[in-house]
Amino acid sequence: MKKIYIISISCLLLIACQATVNTVENEQKTIQVDAVDMAKVSTDVFLKNRLEISGVNKKELADGLLKVQVTVRNVRTGFWDQVSSWYMGDNPYQIAYRFTWLDIDGMEVTTAANTWIPMTVVPGDTVRLQAISPNPRCKDFTLSIRENDRARRF
Amino acid sequence: MNNKIISLIAITGIALLLTACGPSVKRIDATGNEGLVTVDGVDFKDWQIAAEKGVNSLLESGVLSRADGRKTILMISTVKNSTSQHINTRILTDKIRQAVLRSGKALTTTAVGGNGPDDTASKQVRRLEEDDMFNQSTVQKRGTAIAPDMSLSGEIVQQQRSQGRMRESYFFFHMALTDLTTGLALWEENVEIVKQGKKPLMGW
Repeated sequence: MKKIYIISISCLLLIACQATVNTVENEQKTIQVDAVDMAKVSTDVFLKNRLEISGVNKKELADGLLKVQVTVRNVRTGFWDQVSSWYMGDNPYQIAYRFTWLDIDGMEVTTAANTWIPMTVVPGDTVRLQAISPNPRCKDFTLSIRENDRARRF
Repeated sequence: MNNKIISLIAITGIALLLTACGPSVKRIDATGNEGLVTVDGVDFKDWQIAAEKGVNSLLESGVLSRADGRKTILMISTVKNSTSQHINTRILTDKIRQAVLRSGKALTTTAVGGNGPDDTASKQVRRLEEDDMFNQSTVQKRGTAIAPDMSLSGEIVQQQRSQGRMRESYFFFHMALTDLTTGLALWEENVEIVKQGKKPLMGW
């Protein structure tokens, strides 16, 4: 019985040793960001428990195009989260995202290159999803994020 | 009687099995992630990713905007295929060309291209000045076509590796925009895509 406990604990410890990303950054920020109100962020439970959307910034480029950046962090860094991620096969977490652009009338602006972009987000890591508006008429955007099932480990 | 019932069930079962073995064909979302993924080839998703990242980078660079307010005229040069596959690089250049056009920052020419003109009509219609069937005042004059200011070129490189049953392909999409006045590259971008796959124990 004692052996089973030791083996089980060893297994759990091994599982918990999966790679996560540790980050260091400067505390006194010099950047001046134009933050976008995130009132309309909505995610399903699975995504919400894995990815934290920490910021949405925008910048108007010199030629009138809009650049947006959505900062997301994989928050599955705790012991049990790691065990669960290992069991669910979502470490690293595989997502796909797509930006949709809207003009001032709320009409979708079709683009020549508009596809779901796959991305890997390691637990603890922060990634920034960026896009440039296809033309100066675009004033708003929607970011869609989903789990990329095709790229899952199992 | 029992034999008849058993035979009937067997025939029905076989018929159902045969039906289930039929080809399963479906349409999929061309922008989604449901397409086939191969290790050695450039799949449609790879083209889309390369094009989207290239377009984002090109538009962000701002090199298409001119100080004199005139729109840049862009020609599509060649995209060299340095992969082991026969691929049509037009998928990439067409997506970039359309995105550039829709951005309103530049116009693209179809009258001249790295592999010859995309549309030979510009040259053909000027030959009509020798044809008395046409009203000569409506024939396009020589010296009116606008020459390009910049050209878009590139190369796709593939590197293959394998270790045991694991195979890996590294695709390197290189894109460049050249100022035709000076010959200098104003913008360059690389998009890297790596794919891995494990060979089955039996078969290929």
